[in-house]
Amino acid sequence: MTSVNTPALPARAERMSQHRRRQMSDRAISQLFIWPTLILLILMNIFPLFYSLYLSFNDYSVIANEPAEWVALENYQEILANQRSRYWHNFIVTGRYAVLSVGLQIVIGFGLAMLLREKFRGSGLITTLILIPMMLSPVVVGLFWKLIFDPSKGIFNYLIYLDPRAGDQWLSNPTLGLWSIVIVDVWMWSPFVMLLVLSGLSAIPDYLYEAAAIDRASAWFQFRRITLPQVMPLLLIAVLFRTIEAFKAFDVVMGLTGGGPGDTTETVAVRLYSEAFLGKFNTGESSALAYIVLIIIIAISNLYIRALNRAREG
Amino acid sequence: MATIELVQVEKLFGEMHAVKPMDLTIHDGEFVVLLGPSGCGKTTTLRMISGLEAVTRGRILLNGRDVTWERPSERDIAFVFQFFALYSHMSARQNIAFPLQAQGEAKAVITQRVADVARLLRIEHLLDVRPGALSGGDQQRVALARALVRRPAAFLMDEPLGALDAEFRETMRAEIKRLHIDQHATTVYVTHDQIEAMAMGDRIVVMSAAEVQQVGTPAEVYHNPSSLFVARFIGSPGMNLIQGHYVNGVLHLPPSNRYTVPARWVPAIQQVVGGEGDVILGFRPEAAAVVSDGPLAAEVYAADLHGSYTMLHLSLGPDEIVHSRARRETHYPIGTPVRFDLNPEMVRFFDPQTERAIVREGVPA
Repeated sequence: MTSVNTPALPARAERMSQHRRRQMSDRAISQLFIWPTLILLILMNIFPLFYSLYLSFNDYSVIANEPAEWVALENYQEILANQRSRYWHNFIVTGRYAVLSVGLQIVIGFGLAMLLREKFRGSGLITTLILIPMMLSPVVVGLFWKLIFDPSKGIFNYLIYLDPRAGDQWLSNPTLGLWSIVIVDVWMWSPFVMLLVLSGLSAIPDYLYEAAAIDRASAWFQFRRITLPQVMPLLLIAVLFRTIEAFKAFDVVMGLTGGGPGDTTETVAVRLYSEAFLGKFNTGESSALAYIVLIIIIAISNLYIRALNRAREG
Repeated sequence: MATIELVQVEKLFGEMHAVKPMDLTIHDGEFVVLLGPSGCGKTTTLRMISGLEAVTRGRILLNGRDVTWERPSERDIAFVFQFFALYSHMSARQNIAFPLQAQGEAKAVITQRVADVARLLRIEHLLDVRPGALSGGDQQRVALARALVRRPAAFLMDEPLGALDAEFRETMRAEIKRLHIDQHATTVYVTHDQIEAMAMGDRIVVMSAAEVQQVGTPAEVYHNPSSLFVARFIGSPGMNLIQGHYVNGVLHLPPSNRYTVPARWVPAIQQVVGGEGDVILGFRPEAAAVVSDGPLAAEVYAADLHGSYTMLHLSLGPDEIVHSRARRETHYPIGTPVRFDLNPEMVRFFDPQTERAIVREGVPA
């Protein structure tokens, strides 16, 4: 960028060097692009992350107008060791919900993908239609399904019971409450699993099935030994995404049951929300809870990623 | 062990003939090569024999049993694919064991047979490697092992060397041939490489444009091609073919050459064209020799040394170049006028109208 700008230079070259000085260096441009993002990231993500870690070791409430008081591991103790706090109940609800909904999504999503694997007239349209639930807002889904589950005017009971009036009250039944959330989540997210599995299936070359046909493998043997292992990496990614989402389950639960009846459908995320904001503003303890959830999700993700690598290498 | 019979087998893709009705009998233990340029229907034929492709009309018999509508799995045949078609998520060992496991063989039997076939193909040290980490040649060895391990009645191979480097091809060609000699299994082998076909086949089926052109031993298709297509396709370079005008025992060739047709060919030619007419003269490069008193005159167009011999390109006129195989030391400057003669045992004649060979007694076509 250094230019010797002497009057002896021809006019054209002089113009060039002046022009260059007005331009910024590549480095300056890159800084200009990076810093706004970085500042935003630090303010919105990194600072809260560490500040909430700090708060999780303090007795603090954002509305109390009192300084934070260092209590070391007391918040964690309250969550993990105190039976009366019923946090374990929230973890169990979340775990059951995650296992049921992810498991069903995998089975149904895989099944749909196998059905839509062969192209037929209208298969593109059907695929698109199946994907629609995935594109809806979870809050809207929650509200709609609340109406669908309504025992007096909803269509759900009308469809599944011979006598709809004798049907269950899904959302206010302690056992069925969780199931109704599972049903909605499966309805909404099985298409996502289907989409991933479908792309995995289409990547399996036909010649593998030809070779298997020559090798006298039965349809079941082909599925077990070729289809499943070939789709496994993508299937695991689907499981990973859905499990993380299940652990964060909040919006649909809030829309459908709000955690009830009682606390039978209160997932960790819903409990976290009510601890942190709903009248309690228990900031220190909820920060500790958030950190526990974070650690669980990181641990599960690592397990899956390890399984994923194994599936890829064999 | 098996005989394979194709009776008027035909394949249509929509309106287009992929394979026109063909008859072919492959004897027990025979190595038959389907040879032809791409799109000639050779792979489709092979896939119909395997059952991977359904026939449109005709029948396929395996050991006399009609298998036309049986699934590939019911036919007891093995198929070796051009791009190996190995199961990428399994080790070589699992790949080889797959057909046995699919049949529910006992573990001990599987272990034993995989070990046997791995020893045969010298891939014992590669058994725990995945196909992706193997060279092309080793991948094809694993694919061959997977085909062999089942001890099928017949082997079908679709350009198994097509995806390999030139260096591996030579080695694998010899290995497959040796394997065939040792196992003595009926083999149908598809290739577009005429050198491969000549080297490996007991018999060659030359196909072109969905039709069988000629069926014969390598020597037969080389020396007595039944059509202009076969004459051009077999050999590198192919047969020299010059169109001339036949008048009473003499063939007038460009520019003003007169070739006296060997007496024993005259009746056959006259039967086709009468006393006068166009005839194509064909001869292999090794049938032409430059001699000072040869009956044919030409000019040296180019000469290239091929190591063990020199290929002379002789120009009889514009666009009429013939190839002559000469001794290694032969050297002529470009443009030298030369005379050459043809070995009368090795000349052949073709009818330009039908593009078929003119056949005489004693020379089978």
